[in-house]
Amino acid sequence: MSEAVISAPATAPTKLPVVPQAGYALVAPNLIYLALVLLAPLGLMASYSLYAGSLPGLTLDNYAKLGDPYFLRLLLRTVWIALRTAVISVVLAYPLAYFLARAPRSLATLGLLLLLTPLMVSPVVRAFGWVVLLDRNGMVVHLLRHLGFEDARALIYTETAVIIGLVHLLLPYMVLPLMASIERISPSLEEAARNLGARAPQIFLNVILPLSLPGLISGFLLVFVEALSAFVLPALLGGRRVRMIGNEVFDLLLVAYNAAQASTLTVVLIVLTIVVVGAGYGFGRRGARL
Amino acid sequence: MLRIGPLLGSTVVVIYGFILLPLIVILGVSFNDTARLDFPPTGFSLQWYAELLHKAAFLHALLLVSLPVGLISAVCATLLGTLAALGIVRHRFPGREVLQGVFLLPLVVPHILLGAALYLWFASLGLSASLGTLIAGHVLVATPFVIRTVAAGLVGLDRHIEEAARDLGASRFGTFVFVVMPQIRSSLISAAVFALIVSFSDINIALFVSGPETTTLPVYLFSQIQWESDPSVAAASAGQIIVIGLTVFAIQKIFRARVGR
Repeated sequence: MSEAVISAPATAPTKLPVVPQAGYALVAPNLIYLALVLLAPLGLMASYSLYAGSLPGLTLDNYAKLGDPYFLRLLLRTVWIALRTAVISVVLAYPLAYFLARAPRSLATLGLLLLLTPLMVSPVVRAFGWVVLLDRNGMVVHLLRHLGFEDARALIYTETAVIIGLVHLLLPYMVLPLMASIERISPSLEEAARNLGARAPQIFLNVILPLSLPGLISGFLLVFVEALSAFVLPALLGGRRVRMIGNEVFDLLLVAYNAAQASTLTVVLIVLTIVVVGAGYGFGRRGARL
Repeated sequence: MLRIGPLLGSTVVVIYGFILLPLIVILGVSFNDTARLDFPPTGFSLQWYAELLHKAAFLHALLLVSLPVGLISAVCATLLGTLAALGIVRHRFPGREVLQGVFLLPLVVPHILLGAALYLWFASLGLSASLGTLIAGHVLVATPFVIRTVAAGLVGLDRHIEEAARDLGASRFGTFVFVVMPQIRSSLISAAVFALIVSFSDINIALFVSGPETTTLPVYLFSQIQWESDPSVAAASAGQIIVIGLTVFAIQKIFRARVGR
């Protein structure tokens, strides 16, 4: 039937012929689709970033413009918000990940369900909940005043509001890799530490933290990258004051019709993303070898 | 056995409170009896849900855009993704590892940028925003989820059953339809449901490739929240939370029942 029979996967030895042509035929539709709807648009965008307005020829002017104080502030603000989001996510994710990794099965399943179901709800809807909570007459302001902060102001349209929303949106991306890492740590290590007199904080610092580092790093980078390209959250919770790269790309493209500058920002953000994801991948591999 | 101490236990409860609070707030506001976005609610009424039924823009976004786009995108993504998963799991060919990475690219590139790139691409081709451009974008971001889900289902299959079918004279296609498909049915269903949810909740791509006549539900909600939010927006949002909650609950029940057998 076929002359080129390639070795079957190691799991189950079979005599089913595995034909490379059939493999190519099966992946071809998706590959063609990606070429037309992913690679071509991204390539077009990269080329737009080199356009010099109506003038002929290519230029790096659009990239040079990113050195303007306005764009520098935008880039720095975006990175700084993403960084704080990732750090706060780590702090919140550790107790949750530890709980999910060590709780009895049924409780862990329920916990995982409660963590993951909100992921499927549109970010718009989740942001809306925070809009209501953080607004001028929202529950959070009332609560703060009740607690004695008489001059508490509405948090909406501040960086704090954007970070709260982003942490809420992205926390599961931090919890899942962390949980996977903690699950692999044998509980007997913790028991041994406890029997030798270590207290909970010591066990965390000397046993859990170092051994869950791969999960921590991959979760941290994932949250950081996702936060870098946020759009809905800063648009609804940050308003005009707290704008991030995503908001700028949107306005440049759909309001100012400046495709070249929008493309430049896009290329910068994509390169940033790929560098961060690549670094995470490298870490992950090293972690696996250790 | 490790105990979950009271300190850890209460911390976890507080964090779950943080996770669920905004969703509870939306539900509360949607059932409230005032026109203000008040939480905690002061009464109970279904008036905002009733009002939704009179909002033409909402009904259009839900019934004529989001639902059909979601269903068509789910079918296309499931087809493309299943074929690709079969190729990657079942066959060995040069370039296979690279392709695995390439197929996950739509997940790596931030969706807001994919939306921007698609907007420019469709404009350069002279295509105006339509249901077609929306579906093209949603199929792109839903397919990687399908590939993952179906590939995971394929990996565990016992190939000897297919071999037996082939030995007994079944064609390749017949083997797939009558032997492989029934075995990965639950993977296929969850992949399709996943694709539908991805399309239904997407905003970053829809913002760029949907026009005034093809506003999806999330885009409609987004502009309502930005400009003139009233509790009927909360009712529309709460509707989404309820539907997704019930879907997850149902899937969980089905899988439990399967494991039980």
